[in-house]
Amino acid sequence: MSSLQVTKRTKYKTSVKDPGSPGALRMNEQKLLFVPDNRNSGTKVVVEFKSIQGHKYTKEGSNKPPLINLSNVQGGSYIFEFDSYADLHVCRDFVSKVLEKSRETSGTASEKAAVTLADEQLSTAEMQLRIKLLQEDSELQKLHQQFVGGNILTEAEFWATRKKLLDTDSCRKSKQRVGFKSVMISDIRPLTDGQTNKVTFSLTPEIILQIFAEKPAVHQAYLNFVPKKMTEMEFWTKYCRAEYLNHTKNVHAVAAEAAEDEELAVFLKEDDILAREVRKKIRRVDPTLDMEADEGDDYTHLPDHGILRDGSKELNKSQNEFYRRTLLQDLNRHAAIVLEGRTVDVEREDNTNAVAEALAHSKQGMEEADGNENKNRADRISRVTPIEDLQPADSLPLAPLSIKDAREYFDSQQVNALKTSRDASARMESRSCNTQEAYASMRNAISEIKENGLSDPIVSSDVAIKHWTTIQELLRHFWSSYPITTPYIFTKVTRLKDAMSNIYPQLEELKESLQSDLRHQVSLLVRPMQQALDAAIQHHDVDMQKRSVKSGEKPNGYT
Amino acid sequence: MKNSEGRRLNGDAEEDDEDEDEINGGLEAWERSYADDRSWEALQEDESGLLRPIDNSAVYHAQYRRRLRARSLSATSSRIQKGLIRYLYIIIDLSRAAAEVDFRPSRMAVVAKNVEAFVREFFDQNPLSQIGLLTIKDGVAHCLTDLGGSPESHIKALMGKLECSGDPSLQNALDLTQALLNQIPSYGHREILILYSALSTCDPGNIMETIQQCKKSKIRCSVIGLSAEMFICKHLCRETGGSYSVALDESHFKELILEHAPPPPAIAEFAIANLIKMGFPQRAAEGSTSICSCHKEAKIGVGYTCPRCKARVCELPTECQICGLQLVSSPHLARSYHHLFPIAPFDEVPPSSLNDLHIRSQKICFGCQQTLLNLGKPGLCVVCPKCKKYFCLECDIYIHESLHNCPGCESFRHLKPVTAGEG
Repeated sequence: MSSLQVTKRTKYKTSVKDPGSPGALRMNEQKLLFVPDNRNSGTKVVVEFKSIQGHKYTKEGSNKPPLINLSNVQGGSYIFEFDSYADLHVCRDFVSKVLEKSRETSGTASEKAAVTLADEQLSTAEMQLRIKLLQEDSELQKLHQQFVGGNILTEAEFWATRKKLLDTDSCRKSKQRVGFKSVMISDIRPLTDGQTNKVTFSLTPEIILQIFAEKPAVHQAYLNFVPKKMTEMEFWTKYCRAEYLNHTKNVHAVAAEAAEDEELAVFLKEDDILAREVRKKIRRVDPTLDMEADEGDDYTHLPDHGILRDGSKELNKSQNEFYRRTLLQDLNRHAAIVLEGRTVDVEREDNTNAVAEALAHSKQGMEEADGNENKNRADRISRVTPIEDLQPADSLPLAPLSIKDAREYFDSQQVNALKTSRDASARMESRSCNTQEAYASMRNAISEIKENGLSDPIVSSDVAIKHWTTIQELLRHFWSSYPITTPYIFTKVTRLKDAMSNIYPQLEELKESLQSDLRHQVSLLVRPMQQALDAAIQHHDVDMQKRSVKSGEKPNGYT
Repeated sequence: MKNSEGRRLNGDAEEDDEDEDEINGGLEAWERSYADDRSWEALQEDESGLLRPIDNSAVYHAQYRRRLRARSLSATSSRIQKGLIRYLYIIIDLSRAAAEVDFRPSRMAVVAKNVEAFVREFFDQNPLSQIGLLTIKDGVAHCLTDLGGSPESHIKALMGKLECSGDPSLQNALDLTQALLNQIPSYGHREILILYSALSTCDPGNIMETIQQCKKSKIRCSVIGLSAEMFICKHLCRETGGSYSVALDESHFKELILEHAPPPPAIAEFAIANLIKMGFPQRAAEGSTSICSCHKEAKIGVGYTCPRCKARVCELPTECQICGLQLVSSPHLARSYHHLFPIAPFDEVPPSSLNDLHIRSQKICFGCQQTLLNLGKPGLCVVCPKCKKYFCLECDIYIHESLHNCPGCESFRHLKPVTAGEG
């Protein structure tokens, strides 16, 4: 599936405004090579993928030309313009894959150990999904590289919090099956063009499936005749001819045609298989139900469906040979099929043969399950005999309100409160100072902005936001692993705590790297981050204390 | 209509039909209400010639009291648990049948409008709960919105996707909802409300098994039908302990759907009572800035800080994105509390007893201080069984539906407070 080399025609540009020199770009797993058309004027570009840090590309649908921008470690960038978005996508996917692979190889050793620890079985589909998600979202990719590459989190843990992203894709694929439609598509009607005498019937696999399901005689005929006696095309031609004759309601024409053609006669006479099935089904109906009105449905009586016959009109004997289906019988049969549910999926079986055989298999399965009819009958009698309207109301017992003693809650809280009160009191003072300071500095900042105008605050908050996403990710994993139950989680928490402690100097660095006027704003943003980290680390320490108190001799905190 | 009723007592069914047709000359019901009942005579004019609104309040009040009585009968005298933390999925049927115009302008439009009203009312009465939306179209169920606590996002998603086609499939909808509801914690109450317009369901398999699974997963399914009663819906509701009703017209539909807003009584085998950890965040100080975790941008001043992990959230109630703690504020809990201790229905005062001497002094309603006398004669009023104060009909409805506290009982200092142990 993946190609080891990609070659495309592109134009190499040093900046976006540069018209670019046309040439060919060739990429393989180690490096990319650009050779300009005009050997003399253009520059040949050879870049190792190791030095490529990231890639950006223009989105399809915007009015910009398809560009890809590869940035290298030193800060320079290579811009290539493609002829079409399709080319761009191919190259982009290739670049992402290679970059991802290079990052993974740096951390595979530790990763492998962690993966076996978590004992995860990833299917290739899942792997592909993860790679796709990483390619599409560069922020996610950066986080992934930072944590999984930096040995702070394992692959499994990283994706555990992102279950939603992984799941939505599977939901989109929708494992739901669709039942048969209410509409009777098996009742095929031809198209006629007024000029010639031809009529055209169109059959899709879905229609064929319904025909086989509703008319077991046709299904049996198909299995018998095709491909031994006739081809599929001939079979369906005969069938459509039979349908056409039936619709004309001309009994004598039907008789004449049936006498000539044996196979056609199969389609025109009574459906024996159906009659047998229905007789079996009638035995399974509720014994208390009055079935007299449905007698016309068992395909052995005259189609009357409950209409009172006074015997004055006698049907012609000869007509009984060729059986005329009524609309009601067709509708009832279709409804029965819809209610039975779908057993064969047409998308998988495009071939009529396969459909026929699959249907035959499923029918066999259903017949075998019909074994113990009599026992079911007895059960049903006992269930149906009491009259529904006279039964008492069927309400399930309701749960009485029981309000727990509030002292339980307060007792547990007191223990916590005593421990944290000392720390908290110290913190409280500093916090109140902070809010005052924050307010004062905010006012200063506002007055400054009024004088000087906004000067790139976006840049500083962007940087802070980048740090914040990292911190957020760490904290999320940290809090989700409490309460600690296994040694694995314990090591994970320790890892996270170390990573968090390492962030403090990073934040300090950030603050110092900026000029004094921006430093206010950034320090305001940074302060709550530090508070969040402090809270997490404090919780960790408190928990450690509790454990060491509980376990006594075991200093490691293993339970 | 009155004529035909008289005849029905005497004659056979067949003759009766023919007679009705003859007398009415083939008139429809709405035509008959003009011809026989002379509905125009109910209109009245006031002094300046403008039409006075027809006095429906007595009818309205009678309906209301019937509803209350039905509810209080089912509740019995002891207090029962109610599901306060509800996870409700609303399944909207967008099949071919939803385009029918017997509900004006179309069934789909009526359903959408009422779902909007329901969602707002639901979050008003159950601030700790969450709603999700699903639609059924072309035999397949689609998840429109995930479980969430903000009404605006649900309403916006619903209004954007109102097209109908194909057949409905009850089984697919139930399967999908079950998969989604299996992920929620055990203290939450799982509910489904299906708004079904069609008269059939085209399922890929055996729907009885799906219903049994729903019962096992403790999901309470209720259905509101728009066309006619269906056996499968009735069976589903009976098995899972929900309620099934069929709407007659638009206003009836609104009534039926709003009945699902207050929390239902918890069924004994489904309810698990345990302590749930919740956080009560403080409002962030005026000038402080921080980056909020829901929008990923720096915000100044507004917002709340999670008490456990100190992350910033923008609105309540919500779940903290970093540490997963449920964050609520005390008014949210207060709004849920009154469902557990409902106020007793007031007793109606029979008009004859109002002539007694000591009662005649109560001429004004205790709630709104308006006169209880209607044109000199004593009008309908109600009395609280505990504090014996008199209230007019409007105050009665207001107290029971919005206020949830009797002003008379609250104004007595020495009345015994409600103790937790009784009942």
